[in-house]
Amino acid sequence: MNVQFKKGVLDLCVLSMLKDSDQYGYELANTLSALIQISDGTVYPILRKLATDGMVTTYLQESQSGPPRKYYKLTGLGRKTLAALLEEWLTFTRSVNQIVGGDGK
Amino acid sequence: MTKDEYLAMLKRELGILGDAEVSEICSDFEEHFSIGLSQGKTEHEISAELGDPRQVAETYLSENIEKTSGYRATPENTAAVTQAVASVPKTEKDLTGPRLFVILFNVLFMVWVALSVYSAILSFWAATVGLIIAAVAIFVAAAAISSAAVAGLILLGLALLFFAIFSGIINFFLTKLAVIATREYLKWNKKVYNEGF
Repeated sequence: MNVQFKKGVLDLCVLSMLKDSDQYGYELANTLSALIQISDGTVYPILRKLATDGMVTTYLQESQSGPPRKYYKLTGLGRKTLAALLEEWLTFTRSVNQIVGGDGK
Repeated sequence: MTKDEYLAMLKRELGILGDAEVSEICSDFEEHFSIGLSQGKTEHEISAELGDPRQVAETYLSENIEKTSGYRATPENTAAVTQAVASVPKTEKDLTGPRLFVILFNVLFMVWVALSVYSAILSFWAATVGLIIAAVAIFVAAAAISSAAVAGLILLGLALLFFAIFSGIINFFLTKLAVIATREYLKWNKKVYNEGF
């Protein structure tokens, strides 16, 4: 898949996964790599970029097993961006589906 | 690849980023390893799932370049830019003007200002010391004689001592202020001398 395209889609995926609950990196990486063909390591640069862009904030939380985990939480800006990206994605896929589905002529 | 090998390689590939950033990134991956291990995976399995550390590092680096210049990074471009940045020779700036200014300004003006400020402060301190000596002398005198004047002498001595302490505190802050100002001024001098305005 085209790298730039994938990047945009991955941003959308990560933001969506954080919509309902805060998650830690390992969780996000596992879910994403299970569904999309990417390696776990790809998620961390995305998370870092989202954090520097102010889309997410991070906090540490103790866990029952092992060291404290770094959780990621959507900010207000992150929610707004998510809504915009989602809208863009839906419009785009609708158009693509029309073309590849053959009902758009 | 073991955890240590993976982290070492990642660290090496991230080389041109700042130390703080590199160690933050590495701690994210350490956390990933430790959670994976606690779930019964081996270090080798986790490394394989994470993917090539060189690839991972490249993603960080390309995002860093995009962030600073709006430049769209591909792996080839990233490597080229890294190389270009490293090979740019440092251009020499003409520093004659700033240097001449620093020297002349100091010799003609600032040295005299500093001299008068510091000698004023020194004389203030001398006054404080004088007050202390006077107070002590009065106390000694009060101890030596025994008359109705003793109470008055002690009162006078206490008053002098009070003034001495009061002026000492003020002198302390004045001296501190002068030293800080001098240090900042010298810092500024050094900067102008070495880098221009």
